[in-house]
Amino acid sequence: MSQALKSRMDRRATRRTDDAGKRTEYLAFGLAGETYGVPIAHVAEILKLPPITEVPRAPSTVCGVISVRGRLVTVIDLRRRLRLAEGQMDRRARILLVDVGTGEQIGLLVDEVQQVWRLSAEEVEPANVLGGDQPAHIAGIGRPADARGGILILLDLRPIVESP
Amino acid sequence: MARPLAGHSAMLEGGGGREGADKARDEFFSEAQELIDVLGRDLLVLDEALKKGQFDAESINDVFRGVHTLKGLAGLFGATRMAGLSHQLEDALDDLRLGRIELTAAVLDLLFKAVSLYTRLLTAEKGGLAEPAQEVEELLSALGQVSARRAGATAGTVAQYDLDPGLFGVLTEYEEHRLRTTIQQGLQLYRIRVRFSLATIDSALDELKAAVRPHGEIITYLPTGSGTDAETIDLEILMASAEASEGLREAIQGPNVSIEEVPRRSSSSARPSLLAPRPAEAPVPKEFGAPPVQSASPGGDRARPTFLGIAPQSAAAGASSMGLSRAAAPRAAGPGEISLRSITQTVRVDIRKLDRLMTIVGELAIVKTAIAKLSERARTRAIGPRELALELQRLNRTFDRHLAQMQGGILEVRMVPLGQAFDKLARIVRQISREHAKEVRLVVTGAETEIDKLIVEELSDPLMHMIRNAIDHGIESGEDRLRVGKPPIGTIALNAFQKANHVVIEVEDDGAGMDPAALAAEAVRRGVVSADEAKAMTSRDVVALVFMPGFTTKQVATDLSGRGVGLDVVKTNISKLGGVVDITSEIGIGTKMTITLPITLAIINVLLVEIGARLFAIPLANVDEAIALDETQVRAIESREVLTVRGASLPIARLERLFGMQRLQVGSRRAFVVIAQVADRRLGLVVDELVGQRDIVIKPLGKSLSGTRGFAGATELGDQRVALVIDVAALIEEVLASAETRRLAQIESDESSRRYPALRRA
Repeated sequence: MSQALKSRMDRRATRRTDDAGKRTEYLAFGLAGETYGVPIAHVAEILKLPPITEVPRAPSTVCGVISVRGRLVTVIDLRRRLRLAEGQMDRRARILLVDVGTGEQIGLLVDEVQQVWRLSAEEVEPANVLGGDQPAHIAGIGRPADARGGILILLDLRPIVESP
Repeated sequence: MARPLAGHSAMLEGGGGREGADKARDEFFSEAQELIDVLGRDLLVLDEALKKGQFDAESINDVFRGVHTLKGLAGLFGATRMAGLSHQLEDALDDLRLGRIELTAAVLDLLFKAVSLYTRLLTAEKGGLAEPAQEVEELLSALGQVSARRAGATAGTVAQYDLDPGLFGVLTEYEEHRLRTTIQQGLQLYRIRVRFSLATIDSALDELKAAVRPHGEIITYLPTGSGTDAETIDLEILMASAEASEGLREAIQGPNVSIEEVPRRSSSSARPSLLAPRPAEAPVPKEFGAPPVQSASPGGDRARPTFLGIAPQSAAAGASSMGLSRAAAPRAAGPGEISLRSITQTVRVDIRKLDRLMTIVGELAIVKTAIAKLSERARTRAIGPRELALELQRLNRTFDRHLAQMQGGILEVRMVPLGQAFDKLARIVRQISREHAKEVRLVVTGAETEIDKLIVEELSDPLMHMIRNAIDHGIESGEDRLRVGKPPIGTIALNAFQKANHVVIEVEDDGAGMDPAALAAEAVRRGVVSADEAKAMTSRDVVALVFMPGFTTKQVATDLSGRGVGLDVVKTNISKLGGVVDITSEIGIGTKMTITLPITLAIINVLLVEIGARLFAIPLANVDEAIALDETQVRAIESREVLTVRGASLPIARLERLFGMQRLQVGSRRAFVVIAQVADRRLGLVVDELVGQRDIVIKPLGKSLSGTRGFAGATELGDQRVALVIDVAALIEEVLASAETRRLAQIESDESSRRYPALRRA
């Protein structure tokens, strides 16, 4: 990202903070009937499903590799990684290309992409409201004020990417 | 000097934006790396000269200049420790230049050590790692001790000569030192007067210097100030030579040349005040104080300290700040710490190669224009479908041809001479042989052989291991060598040559060789092979056992001739490059290791196969042949399937099963066996279908899949489909070594102290 673009974004972020407290943008996506959210800053790209090449012997959560403009990207089946029920993918399925600073972009296979939520700090509950023993990838619960009671399970991508 | 200065200014300009700064930083790394490489080479030249008992003044100057430039670079980029090291080194080198300290092998050791420290500092700087501060300190204090031992300059000798006392006022310290040294060597001083025409003085002076060089050393030249007219200038040249004046006159004759001997005085204590050694503490301002000399020497290539733009440092101050601890001279770092890999990935390219690429791009642009025109004509229906098809075909062919040229051109740009790796090895040879007090000569042939830059980088460390092994355990001590009638100096030959699409590198020593019987006994004892297997093995197979992971243990290294330290690592690294390594050895004659590598990693020729309805690629370099599988010829021997091919046994692996794949199609009627070979081990890979050959660009799998064995990478087949490239060496290792691994595992559980890499895979 160029310096100029970054500083412009910083300015925009500051302005938002001014009028509505500190807010973070989350990309919401559906997975096995639930809605999850990840910080949009970590999402580089959203892809429709390309042909995925299976990699024998890879961890079972890895559904294969794809080629994104000549680069090989490992795709993780997020349902399997989060130990959710297996299900049929349809044409709404997407791959989120995420980059959490590990030096490698990873694809996450999700059921569908929904929308972007801007959550203030008050709209996010910490993970420990669910009890003390939560897996490392649960970052908290998002309760957008205008979502009519809907909630987002907020994910920390780092543990997911680091040990697929 | 012009080049480094230009480098500085370019970097300063580049310091504007953030990207500019990054680019400048990259340039810093590649420039510093290059300087360090050159430094290493210059030191080797010095070393050579020293071995012959000579003092190579010009190389010392080269090293001094290199260090000085590095200091400037490091300062610019805030690499303070590097700048500090350079500063002290510069002082020490200045002392060497000026003869204040003597160049000995021990001093050279320190300088070599400095080169390796530079590399590590640079690596640390680049990777944001911890700097080897401790070792820098040790080196600095050792350098300090060397400086402190500075010999007092030899006094009095110059006094024997009838020289103009004013002369010493204009000589630089360096020139004065050379003057003293040459006199000490018993050379005769000559004064040569030459009249130059101002118009041609540049070339005439160069000619003169060339003519003088074989006969002696020019100490200085000064204008006499007595030129007769405005078009000419008289120079007085002071030179030292071992030859008599007649011979010299013969060699340097010319219309405007007169040569006279500088007569010796009868008393040697004539003018002690002038000729006492210059106190080392005194600053030496003379560099800036001799303007007439400078203006009169437009040749400018003399080794005059002025070109450095700084006055030599006060040596006393340097010595006191260098610490007083009497630390022993730093030992060379252990093998684990040294890496010869460059930290930059820059390739220098001959501009002509780029011009050729540019031409091809031009051709491609023409094709593009033709396509644009054609599509326009098709849109306006100015062209019939038949004609259109023909035109398209023609353009496609042209495009194909240019693309192939482009590919070839880019591969060529990636090629660098192997000499880049070999130069660094010469340094290692010197260091290791001194550590072991063995005399070893490195003879290099084929350094100009070109290979992909990436391979050269990956090759440095395995080659270093091999050479270390050869010196450590192959070459005998001088006395032992004399006893068996070999020359006392051992020889390691490093040969490189191209053979078809491969580059072959041989590392050959004339040492003790290996005893297959002893090796086999040890292998049996360690359970690497069974006694029966050992009996059946040829001596060649036995020697190849040194590449087994089980042979890296210390015990083996001391019991036998000691080979095997890290050789399994060498083998692994070479196979990662798609290469193979072989070894042959004869007792008493020596050992030869041969590495065979593909010329480039960028594009490889593969055989596409289908396994369980999915496509895989097998590098053709590893494929011997492919045959139809005849199930009636398959026998299971000890849980391993063996196929009889032309009367010989071939172990086979069913890839579908090996990869644990689910069958998408059931009941495929036939199968094929791709016979793969790495080094001298063969394995039949059973696949469903042979699809065809293809040139592919191989891409690495991401870090997240680094634990997945058996694949070297993947390639895109077009239409976004991806095929995995099978790592044949790893599969052969896995399948064929599994029995050996099981035995090793047994030993492992007994000893439970060492980890064998092969086990992790099982």
